[in-house]
Amino acid sequence: MDLLLISEYILLVALAIFCLATIRITTRKTVGMGLVGISGLAIAVATILILVKNIYGVGFCTDIAAALIILGPVGTIAFSKVLKGDS
Amino acid sequence: MAFIEVADPVSLVKSIILMVCAVLVVLGGIGILRYKDDLERVMYARIHILGLADMACILALLVLGEFLLAAAYFILAPGGIANAYYYGEEEK
Repeated sequence: MDLLLISEYILLVALAIFCLATIRITTRKTVGMGLVGISGLAIAVATILILVKNIYGVGFCTDIAAALIILGPVGTIAFSKVLKGDS
Repeated sequence: MAFIEVADPVSLVKSIILMVCAVLVVLGGIGILRYKDDLERVMYARIHILGLADMACILALLVLGEFLLAAAYFILAPGGIANAYYYGEEEK
């Protein structure tokens, strides 16, 4: 078995654990905690999708990961502008 | 014939980096849950821990060959959450 494939599976499991932690943080009561959780979840899911593309050869996962990576921080900044109010 | 095969030295380095990233991501997941909510300024501590996991994911993306995605996230991510927290409900 290839060592690179094993390490990709290990990273996949670690990212799954991290996803659970970020979902737990997202359920806290303040807006800031929700943003922290969603931001971590976005990058973790994007990395999982890239790993799935590398392991299983599913091509369109890159497009979904690109959308997640670009729209996640843009949404966070836009939400902060909404919270700011007058601008 | 060994059970675990290594194709070339580059694959070995990639595997080591991916495993280090996995360890960092797990540590980030533990650390983000570790602090209690009633601590003062716990938000900034969690952003700091999230930065560790972010950089581990960016490093993994670089190793996996997705340079554009890694660069995009590296440019876009910092500051967004801190900005939201500064103008958020905690300041009222």
